[in-house]
Amino acid sequence: MKTLKVGLISFAHGHAYSYLNSFLALPEVEIAGIADEVLSRVETVGSTHGIPLYEDYRELLKTDIDAVAICSENVKHAEHVIAAAEAGKHVICEKPLGLSVEEMERMIEACKVNGVQLMTAFPCRYLAAVVNAKQAVDAGEIGDIVAIKGTNRGSMPGQWFVEPHLSGGGALLDHTVHVMDLMNWFTGSKVTEVYAYAATLFHEELKVDDAGMIHVRFASGVFGVLDTSWSRPKSFPTWGDVTMEIVGTKGQLFIDSFAQSNEVFSDAAGKGAWSFWGDNMDHYMVKGFVDALLSGKPVPITGTDGLRSAEVALAGYKSVQCGQPVSI
Amino acid sequence: MRVAIVGCGGLGNVHASSYAEMPGVTVVGVCDIEEEQVRRTADRIGAPAYVSYRDMLEQSGCEVVSIAVQSYLHKQLAIEAAEAGKHVICEKPIALNLADAREMIDTCRKNNVRLFVGHVVRYFPEYAQIKHQLENGTIGRLGVAHTSRIGGHPGHARAWYFDDACSGGVILDLMIHDIDFIRWAGGEVRSVYSQRAASRELDYATATLVFESGAVANLKAQWGYPGPFTTAAELAGSGGVIRTDSSRSASLQIRKTEASASGGPFVEVPQSPGYESPYYIELLDFINSIREGREALVTAEDAYKALEIALAATESARTGKAVMIGQDTRKAESV
Repeated sequence: MKTLKVGLISFAHGHAYSYLNSFLALPEVEIAGIADEVLSRVETVGSTHGIPLYEDYRELLKTDIDAVAICSENVKHAEHVIAAAEAGKHVICEKPLGLSVEEMERMIEACKVNGVQLMTAFPCRYLAAVVNAKQAVDAGEIGDIVAIKGTNRGSMPGQWFVEPHLSGGGALLDHTVHVMDLMNWFTGSKVTEVYAYAATLFHEELKVDDAGMIHVRFASGVFGVLDTSWSRPKSFPTWGDVTMEIVGTKGQLFIDSFAQSNEVFSDAAGKGAWSFWGDNMDHYMVKGFVDALLSGKPVPITGTDGLRSAEVALAGYKSVQCGQPVSI
Repeated sequence: MRVAIVGCGGLGNVHASSYAEMPGVTVVGVCDIEEEQVRRTADRIGAPAYVSYRDMLEQSGCEVVSIAVQSYLHKQLAIEAAEAGKHVICEKPIALNLADAREMIDTCRKNNVRLFVGHVVRYFPEYAQIKHQLENGTIGRLGVAHTSRIGGHPGHARAWYFDDACSGGVILDLMIHDIDFIRWAGGEVRSVYSQRAASRELDYATATLVFESGAVANLKAQWGYPGPFTTAAELAGSGGVIRTDSSRSASLQIRKTEASASGGPFVEVPQSPGYESPYYIELLDFINSIREGREALVTAEDAYKALEIALAATESARTGKAVMIGQDTRKAESV
């Protein structure tokens, strides 16, 4: 069996823990190292799994790994992706891919020039409900798509996510990209116009927006709207949601991605909770990345997909400034 | 109180039934240009039937007229009633343009009669509870809200709904319910952006309202939904979330094993029963407002504001631009 040697750069984004577990579950993957400028963040996972640690990611890139997973702060994605590409490593990068269109184009170009693949981490494409909905739409079960309403509501993440010099934006950036990627994927069309509103409404002390509503119009004429707010209070039974209602000419469908959950009422927790029991989307996304690299096929979600989604959020901030739709 | 009703369609009959059981209220006339329709309603509640609105105004001795006809006829019938000295209770939307709405309000004031508009959502207990809890501070400051109102296309039963010039389409006829509710809950609206797709099968609209407070709401309305009529709302605030969903509040499920008329293997009828219908509570509030000389829970000026926002949404959907609200700063006045 061919083996893929994988390294991870930065655990700043908590998704790194889940991606690591997904890689570890695959017998064809060897985790060859973890780099993090804050070593204390990764010491436990390093010792638990016997993984070599690096304080400087450039040292990790000098090893013979085949690929890296990058979960650094948004503002560092470009530096890390381009360095990995120049070291000849394939890349899976946490979303949002970058903080400007120009930056993301440079990342994509660096990977192309160096003959490595770039995948954007959009695990929602691997939700079983999403996969089945896509098949239903492609089979024409609801006719042509007319409109989409989505939500990616969440809890306020704190940490570097709310520091604009590290995150590059608030809820509108953080939570536009997942469902926007799904909208792009389902419509097969490109967003041409964006209207958005963003504000700090739930946590007054924040330096970034925590509420967002973003409308898009696609070249195909389809329109969509998405709530990106970190609006789930501490008392809410779960962290947030990913929903998408697609209205078609011959029917409609509704995806409630985490509806596969039990209701748990525990005095110890002090509130009711929705406990998810559905399939692990990260596992299937990571497997998709690994399978593509081992078989020499294109990765299932590209850097361009990451750009097409992030550029909508970036245009959204321009719309917030002028109070009117802006063109892409 | 002597009440007459014009329009004996679905809502006219709801009005008739509500007044018929209301203490101290007598239905002294029902009117419709469709003779068979007016006869059915008249027989059902035991009231005189009229096919001429003018005759009913002159002969029935009514003090109040309840208007439940096509939206584009609201203004004409309301003004005739006001000029005949009758109080007016009118179904929503108040009118299809602001000039008509203002003329109705002004004519009623000039003739010293009251004008009420049936924004009934304020009287639905689940929505009233949201308003109450928001005011109590249960969820802190309002941040982001959603509303949804979806059902079959009424145009297939009554073709005038297909014509924007008669009904105003899904925004003016259906979304306006949630526009009034969300303005009641969230305060005055600063701007509206909307997108809409309309055909004979589907009239779908999504509108984002930004409030003067900085809060934001997305309202969705749909005719041509392939499922039962459903309403839902979520209000998220700085200290909590309130949600309501009619599809999850059916307190009674009746399932019968025999085949339905449509040929299905079973019949399923979800219900959410209550002792008094929201329409009854609304009409009683209007009647008591006349009796007691007080404001109702929803005023004619509220109806004007809801229309203003609905028209802005319609314009935004047409032009693709966000529309600013509140150039008209006239203070709400009692009518």
